[in-house]
Amino acid sequence: MEDDGPSLVRRLRDGLRLVSTVVQAFAEPTPEYLESLDAIAHDVAEVIPDMCVVLLRSGDQFSVVAIHDGSPDARARFVDLLNQPYPVRDSVIAAGVIANGPLLEPWLDTWLDTGEHPAFQRGSQAASVERRILSHATGMIVAPLAARGESLGVLWVLRHGEGKPLLDELDLEIIIDLANHAALAVSNARLFKQLERVERLRVAEERAVHASSLLDGIVENIPDMVFVKDADQLAFVRLNRAGEDLLGISRDQLLGKTAGELFAPHEAEFFSAKDAEALATGLVEIPEESIQTRHGIRWLHTKKVPLLDSAGTPRYLLGISHDITERKQAIAELSAAKLAAEDANRELESFSYSVAHDLRTPLRAIDGFSQALVEDYGDKLDVEGRRYLTRVREAAQRMAELIDDLLTLSRVTRSELRRDRVDLSALAHTLLSAFQRVDPDRQVELSISPGIVADADPQLVAIALDNLLGNAWKFTSKRPAARIEVGVTQAHGVPAYFVRDNGAGFDMTYRDKLFGVFQRLHPESEFPGTGIGLATVARIAQRHRGRAWAVGVPGEGATFFFTLTEPHAA
Amino acid sequence: MQHEHVIVLVEDNANDEELMLRAFRKSNIENRVVILRDGAEALDYFFARGDHAGRSALEIAQVVLLDLKLPKVGGIEVLRALREDDRTRLLPIVILTSSAEDQDLVRCYSLGANSYVRKPVDFTQFVDAVRQLGRYWLMVNQAAPSSMM
Repeated sequence: MEDDGPSLVRRLRDGLRLVSTVVQAFAEPTPEYLESLDAIAHDVAEVIPDMCVVLLRSGDQFSVVAIHDGSPDARARFVDLLNQPYPVRDSVIAAGVIANGPLLEPWLDTWLDTGEHPAFQRGSQAASVERRILSHATGMIVAPLAARGESLGVLWVLRHGEGKPLLDELDLEIIIDLANHAALAVSNARLFKQLERVERLRVAEERAVHASSLLDGIVENIPDMVFVKDADQLAFVRLNRAGEDLLGISRDQLLGKTAGELFAPHEAEFFSAKDAEALATGLVEIPEESIQTRHGIRWLHTKKVPLLDSAGTPRYLLGISHDITERKQAIAELSAAKLAAEDANRELESFSYSVAHDLRTPLRAIDGFSQALVEDYGDKLDVEGRRYLTRVREAAQRMAELIDDLLTLSRVTRSELRRDRVDLSALAHTLLSAFQRVDPDRQVELSISPGIVADADPQLVAIALDNLLGNAWKFTSKRPAARIEVGVTQAHGVPAYFVRDNGAGFDMTYRDKLFGVFQRLHPESEFPGTGIGLATVARIAQRHRGRAWAVGVPGEGATFFFTLTEPHAA
Repeated sequence: MQHEHVIVLVEDNANDEELMLRAFRKSNIENRVVILRDGAEALDYFFARGDHAGRSALEIAQVVLLDLKLPKVGGIEVLRALREDDRTRLLPIVILTSSAEDQDLVRCYSLGANSYVRKPVDFTQFVDAVRQLGRYWLMVNQAAPSSMM
């Protein structure tokens, strides 16, 4: 010891300051301990020249994590050593210090001659890293970094060049103290990191559990059967509540079993074939499959899809089955009802055919022979007798009209609706001209709005308009200044076509009766008619999803409306 | 021997038959009327078989008035059979029926009926219709040459 008093005091003060810096640097547990170690190496190198190296052990390797040197040149020489791991078994200095405790070599002059520490001569495999650190060193202190019984590495201080104070016991103590603090800090930081990792894992696990239970809740409450099979054995690994309800067995009875152990052979064979298909090709959709359950046969619409792992290999098979039994039944009932309706329609058709043929034939005889009687034996009858025969003929002809009107009504009901563009204005003109030809003497003022067009069945609309215009023509027959108007307005958001006349009109009290079959509001003697025409109009409107209605005032006229589409919802 | 131009009436209803004959008389149609009362008999007549095997080959149908609703073989079937056979393919056939069903009308025309008349209930109209028929088929229309009749 050559130090004088003030020099010693300065070194002690510097040493204490260094320890305090280190303690402060590690006061807060921080995972960034490598930065702190770097700062320590720097401070140590400043206070205790000339170089400071921190080596950390990781498994069976050492590596330099910090290196500082008073001279920038020197530092540049060593910077390539940073983070160059080398095996513990090749280590002489670091491994020796960890095994035997701190090392103080105040004067390395013998090494200077040979360039080698004596220890290195024991094996030529000695790490070149440690040799490089030692080169040009004239003295050194190496202290183990150990905390909580674990050796973390070493703190290695080196002196370069001659003529500088030798490293001594005081330096050793300071370095050991520093090393202990640093080691504890490193240990703390590592613990902290570990804790942090554990915490992260715990949070991740918590999240996973949360996500999984959310998923479970969803799967469990899906109203369709959801099942999962493993891809290898095709054994059930999952079944939701809807699946239990559908199959009538609990998941405990089902999980771990294959289709073959649970279902009838032909069903199991089908299910397994579809499973294999899904695993081989991706999504498979089975629009209809039957399954024998505890509640009888159920029909399912099933989708099967393979669930792949990250490598793309199918691990599971997911199946979702929608129970379509009720829907299938409803469809079957519907088609049965449709067949029955078609049967009824065919019956009606043959009935109508018979009516047309068979009922008219005797009427023809009644009319024909009455006429023959008038013609051949008229002179043998008095006026009254001939009048009776006229009445017989009138009645027969009227009945023929009734039959024809009823046939029209039935045809309107059963004929297929074919919508097309219909020019109602032109149609009204044609029909009214026909009425005018039959009654050439009548003077009727006609007002037909031009360009009334409807998307409707041309034949049915012609029948409807013929009936309405026929009525208007008929009920204005006693008016000296008769007027018939055809137009279109809006009702319930859709076009409402109308025929207005200034004829006999009707009492609104009876407006509900107007559109009933055989309903008449005027005596036959006053206005002839069968009472089927307006029923036919209403039926035609209904066939088009529209409706027919009327407003009228007795003695002033009536307006008949009809629509040919569904009303718009208000 | 002279050819005889006859009217063939295929009709099963006695009333209609009598009214038809009366309408012919009223319309001054004097051709002999051959009356056949069902579809099977009609076919026998036209193909000269069965009860009609020995009928005169000189008898030529100027017009056939065919009802649709007939016993045994229906009018539609008779029409089809007559149109399928070369011997009767060109025979003038008027469908005379009560039916005003569109489907009947379309079927008859598509099977080759020459005309389709609905029998009116009103006898006055009935006579009118027969008169017009007679005027066209018996006086105006030039019958197609027949290979057999």
